[in-house]
Amino acid sequence: MKKKRMGIEKRHRLIGWGFLLPATVLIFIFCFYPMLQAILLSFKSGNGVNAEWTLNNYTRILKDKTFKQCLFNTVFYLVVQVPIMLILALMLAQLLNNPKLRFRGGFRTMIFLPCATSLVSYSMIFKSLFADRGLVNLILEQVGLSPVSWFQEAWAARFVIIIALIWRWTGYNMVFYLAGLQNIDYSVYEASRIDGASPMQQFFRITIPLLKPTILLTAIMSTSGTLQLFDESVNLTAGGPGKASMTLAHYIFNISFVETPKFSYAAALSVFILVCVATLSFIQMKVGDQRD
Amino acid sequence: MKTALSYIVLCIISFLSVFPLYYMLCGATNPSIDVIRGKLVPGSYLLENFKTLIEFQDLGRALFNSFRNSLLITLFTLLICSIAGYGFEVYHDKGKDILMSILLLAMMLPFVALMIPLFKMFSAWGMVNTWMALMLPSISTPFMIMLFRQAARSFPPDIIDAARLEGLSEMGIFFRMYIPTMKSTYGAAMTVTFMNAWNNYLWPKIILQKNESITMPMLVANLKSGYSVDYGMLMLGVLICTLPTAIIFLCLQKSFANGITGAVK
Amino acid sequence: MKKRFLSTLLSAVMTASLLAGCGGGGGNTSATDTTDVQTTQTQEAETEVTASGGEETLTVWCWDPNFNIYAMKEAEKIYQKDHPNFKLDIQENVYSDIEQKLITAAEAGDYSTLPDIFLMQDYSYSKMATNYPGIFTDLTDSGIDFTQFTAGKVADSTVDGKNYGVPFDNGAVIFAVRTDIIEQAGLKAEDFKDITWSKFLELGQKVLDETGCPMLTSSGGSELVIMMMQSAGASPMVDGKVNLVGNAALEEAISIYKKLVQSGIMVDYTDWDQYIASMNDGTAAGVIQGCWIMSSIQAAADQSGKWAIVNMPKLDNIDGATNYSNCGGASWAVSSNCKNVELAQDFLKTTFGGSVELYDILLPNAGAIASYLPAGESAIYQEGSEFYGGQAVYADIVEYANGVPAFSYDAYYSDIRSALTDAITNVVQNGADITEEIQNAQDTVEFNIGG
Repeated sequence: MKKKRMGIEKRHRLIGWGFLLPATVLIFIFCFYPMLQAILLSFKSGNGVNAEWTLNNYTRILKDKTFKQCLFNTVFYLVVQVPIMLILALMLAQLLNNPKLRFRGGFRTMIFLPCATSLVSYSMIFKSLFADRGLVNLILEQVGLSPVSWFQEAWAARFVIIIALIWRWTGYNMVFYLAGLQNIDYSVYEASRIDGASPMQQFFRITIPLLKPTILLTAIMSTSGTLQLFDESVNLTAGGPGKASMTLAHYIFNISFVETPKFSYAAALSVFILVCVATLSFIQMKVGDQRD
Repeated sequence: MKTALSYIVLCIISFLSVFPLYYMLCGATNPSIDVIRGKLVPGSYLLENFKTLIEFQDLGRALFNSFRNSLLITLFTLLICSIAGYGFEVYHDKGKDILMSILLLAMMLPFVALMIPLFKMFSAWGMVNTWMALMLPSISTPFMIMLFRQAARSFPPDIIDAARLEGLSEMGIFFRMYIPTMKSTYGAAMTVTFMNAWNNYLWPKIILQKNESITMPMLVANLKSGYSVDYGMLMLGVLICTLPTAIIFLCLQKSFANGITGAVK
Repeated sequence: MKKRFLSTLLSAVMTASLLAGCGGGGGNTSATDTTDVQTTQTQEAETEVTASGGEETLTVWCWDPNFNIYAMKEAEKIYQKDHPNFKLDIQENVYSDIEQKLITAAEAGDYSTLPDIFLMQDYSYSKMATNYPGIFTDLTDSGIDFTQFTAGKVADSTVDGKNYGVPFDNGAVIFAVRTDIIEQAGLKAEDFKDITWSKFLELGQKVLDETGCPMLTSSGGSELVIMMMQSAGASPMVDGKVNLVGNAALEEAISIYKKLVQSGIMVDYTDWDQYIASMNDGTAAGVIQGCWIMSSIQAAADQSGKWAIVNMPKLDNIDGATNYSNCGGASWAVSSNCKNVELAQDFLKTTFGGSVELYDILLPNAGAIASYLPAGESAIYQEGSEFYGGQAVYADIVEYANGVPAFSYDAYYSDIRSALTDAITNVVQNGADITEEIQNAQDTVEFNIGG
């Protein structure tokens, strides 16, 4: 009896591997193989054919002032933007999960719209909103504050990027939470309300614990996305003023395609990002991915 | 009282979210010079902008290509990633958990660094300017696999056991039980995949080098590349580029956010 | 061998599932759809056959339908008169994408995707030819007479004595002035002609005081400073060495820039759209930029007759300072993948390198100002332009172009530009010391070069 059971389990395990196969093969060929080449490239000198093995690209990182500036900017975006965005998305999802709420479809669609907006328009809109004589400054003046040159001052420019990121990606994350919340019976909320729980308590006692797998997923995604942030830096502030708002991925792109091409150095910087994201994700997995 | 507050909060956030669409609409209906000067009232220049747009750009082809590429990529992504995600969770063991962690690495290296090796690979296979080269690197993403894996966590094991007792094959359980139950996850995944495929620019631009393969983001980029930009036309292009994703979301949002559907009980 | 097998296998699987998946959803469009899918792979083979099969088709990459794409189409028409079989396949590509594709192809060692002819910004020739000489076909002995072009312009696409580009549009710097605004301060456009920067500061202050309107608008960064440097011929690269520290013209240019911003005589935008808007909506009374900016100025049709064009101010205390400089402009290159080099060379020679007729069409219709000298003598260049109050602006600009001093940034244009942008931002925004910042910029560029 027991032996037969083992046989079934083994069979299931094998079928399981079969389920994973197509996806895994694709990732190995089209991601890990090029990745390996990029990693090898990062240990070579120059771009030539007869390049030698070297660690220069990595020691160069330590001497690179632009890199330090970009690393600072990127980490700043990560630390400030990701928590705000995820919490906001969670709260919105909880609000919109209430079946008694009217026009839910309309609200959901409207809140999702920012991430459907194409990059060009979104950067143009933000640039015009935060222009010297744009709407934001107009409002600031109306309430008696002095206007800000948003794109000419380092902290102001970073602030604009963070606002833009939150604006664009909150709805996106909300989608996953909404999908996740669907698996929680709404009667759980009803019951807790009868027990006298406030919406705040519901949020922390029901929503967050039950959505933990999804929260973990979005946290890893956002961390990875922010550390590889590129579009906003290029299109919104062009990394400026100077390089005060430039991200690492933007710098890597410049090294590869704009300035004198240094692909092996760009590869080394990319590997640096890889290591950072992997470490952070590993920690997040350890903290958040226990099966109860 | 509380609901009133909810409505106020939602209205404010919705307004902030929708404002750009209004801005695009104003831009698309006004001549370029008014857009530059920051006019925020819809105008009557829509038809002229549209005429210039189709005079200079192959809008029909770009829309067609974008739809075809995005739909096919979405279809394959959902199929391949959801099977994998299901496999990872339902048959999970130590080895598969480790593999999942390894696969996650795939999304952690900036794409700029992968682009040249990838291009080299496809050029060695003689696959530049083919469609396969566009799709293959995009359809299996660790993010989607993990999304389905996390979702499968809430798929009750009783259902699987019951189905097995009834003699359903493992594949059969996936197709007949899992997919219908996980409509919400599929809805969310579909929206997001479609949107990403639709907006993708860097890779299609590098691997599809012919005019005939133009996509909507390429068209919009073209509109902005001249020495003097026609902002009215640009905004119209951007609006047309945005609408499909928005409409798809509108159609799908019910499926993934309408509370318990009754499938899981 | 293994790779090939794998790819075939994958293709087979994908195509099979694709066709199966397509049938239902495609509807009435699926007819064109499936043929399209199936022909993509064969298409490549087809074009190669036709190219070698004697039909005279050339592929071109360029980017602006109103400007260089239009120019190519007109050139095609002119060439077709004598070569009825001749055809161009013009592919619209954003400029940064052209560079990216060239670099990707070169890094992958596969030039087969390159077009026959592509348009490249002048500032990139040196960088591309130094790093990826394999992209180009050397045009030195192509029979094109390069002496017929503005010398400075030809120099930009000449690397190590080899000509890689056929000059196209002119990038001579102009100073466009709103005559109606400066009139309120009792000034005329002529007052700004042939002046120095100190005189400009004086006049600009006057305009600001009288009208409240800044005299200049700037797109931020280092563009204006680099124009000033070039107007004095003070190259940032000399004999392969970075020449920023101790470059007197640079130092003076930055200090002028600082004065311009701090006095409010110039408004400084980092964003291009705001910059353009500031010209169109009368925020600023003038702009100093490459002459291609004129199409953006002219977009405000209601300001017709209110603009005039003069040359830019010159640096006060610098030897060799002039009122002329250059910003932008592009040249046509023939790629190494060109299947019919003779045809491409002959086409460029008879059109952009030899047809006054072509340039006469391009000027009024595309605003493309020639760097082809015989074209500048054509009657159409001498005509007054209504938008600029009847001034014969094109003849003036051709004249400005002839006065531009030689200037070299070697292969490091973008590195220098970005380092100078940092320096200028620090000086203007944070009050940093000019010499210190120039030293930093020099260090950064040297760091980038040594890599």
